[in-house]
Amino acid sequence: MKAMVLAAGKGTRVQPITNVVPKPMIPLLGKPVLESILEHLRDNGFDEIVINTSHLAPVIEDYFRDGSRLGIRIAYSFEGLLSGGCLEGRAVGSAGGMRRVQDYSGFFDGTFVVLCGDALIDVDLREAVRFHRARRSIATVILREVAPEEVFRYGVVATGPDGRVVQFQEKPSVQEAISTRINTGIYVFEPEVFDFIPRGCAFDIGSELFPALVAAGAPIFGVDIPFEWIDIGCVADYWEATRMALTGRIRGYRLPGMEVLPGVRTGINMRWTPENVTLRGPVIVGGSTSIGDGCLIEGPTLIGAGCVIEPGAEVRQCILGDYTRVSSVARLDRVLVYGSHCIEPNGEHLDIEQAGIGWVVDDARKRQEFTGEQLDLLELARALGN
Amino acid sequence: MRFEETKIGSILVAKVLDKRIAADVAPQFKAHLAGYLNNGERSIVLDLAAVSFIDSSGLGALISSLKAIGTDGHLVISGAHGTVATMFKLTRMDKIMRVFGTTEEAVAAIS
Repeated sequence: MKAMVLAAGKGTRVQPITNVVPKPMIPLLGKPVLESILEHLRDNGFDEIVINTSHLAPVIEDYFRDGSRLGIRIAYSFEGLLSGGCLEGRAVGSAGGMRRVQDYSGFFDGTFVVLCGDALIDVDLREAVRFHRARRSIATVILREVAPEEVFRYGVVATGPDGRVVQFQEKPSVQEAISTRINTGIYVFEPEVFDFIPRGCAFDIGSELFPALVAAGAPIFGVDIPFEWIDIGCVADYWEATRMALTGRIRGYRLPGMEVLPGVRTGINMRWTPENVTLRGPVIVGGSTSIGDGCLIEGPTLIGAGCVIEPGAEVRQCILGDYTRVSSVARLDRVLVYGSHCIEPNGEHLDIEQAGIGWVVDDARKRQEFTGEQLDLLELARALGN
Repeated sequence: MRFEETKIGSILVAKVLDKRIAADVAPQFKAHLAGYLNNGERSIVLDLAAVSFIDSSGLGALISSLKAIGTDGHLVISGAHGTVATMFKLTRMDKIMRVFGTTEEAVAAIS
């Protein structure tokens, strides 16, 4: 069966992580979220998948290529321009992206699924398709119950007893909300739905297409299928998702590396003497990382590949991207280091270069060159001992 | 750089009005703080509530001033928030300088 995965967004709420990777490629324990989604599609019988790309498109396209490594067939719909030697994204909205593919080749010639590439889901798509076909629906949205006080964040849907959608509300206030069932962004469509998507303009599925379908009295339905949904909409979500994965709370999520001590998993080519490091799991460490004597690593912590944790450093409940160097004087507590930024769980971030804190934490591949001032601060921090 | 100065008894509360204390203004910053010491101030609360970014140079200027005051007096921080608070934490300067949430708390602590 055919599917479309929407991966063209800019991911502004997960900046600065999305300065270097598009949101669907944000790694959860080293594995891009989009990879888990594609595997799930495959396991549900979807083997021909078009992915629309825009922002940082090559990161996605170079990783999955034609999909053969995953046992599926993938093609891309790039929304952008090569201009002045650089690829610029020119995204056209979710429904606009669907329209573009259909106009290009008429790809969607039967029931198909559309979903976002940035949330981990384990929803039974076969069940969704069965429901969709039984109702002779042209557009079915998978719904999910949320707490009443959360409705303002989502598209809210009200359905009749047979599941037919009667009203949509985009991000209503708690008082105005017509229900507590929200649009998960997972859809089953028939090609007839393209009659309702205009050409030549950006068009969004949730906030524009579905209301148009309701207004036209088209047969559209909502279905409740409980599933696990791990969204990476903002830095705080990413933080929580990683903590859940590290503590084994995401059903079926494979932990990378091999367990070398209880609660401690590592890759190969590690440079360390485990007996000389204080470890409190769960801790996962990537390959080729070096951890000096006297370090303290307290979980849940994820340390990437090629990292250098200098002797005596303390790392507590952190997520460190690949090639992070942590200086001996560092006492890192709940910090995410990614793409040359230090990021707090609430999204506040510091550019390491601009802030001049390379002497605390930096890229391990850089030559260390510090200003006089930075050396003074380093000396002071050293003198602090513990 | 711009400051707003208030005296509470013998305590000088100096509020930094600029949003950024970075390498380009660090020397002025340091000089301004030195000026307070030259005027005989010995109990200073530096209010950073309006500051949204400070870099290593800015911190360095603070530390120099702290050293200059030495055991003769107090130089403490109030109102550090967001990435400014993160900077103090990451560089461990929060173990060297006393950092308070509000100017009231800071003033009470050094009275």
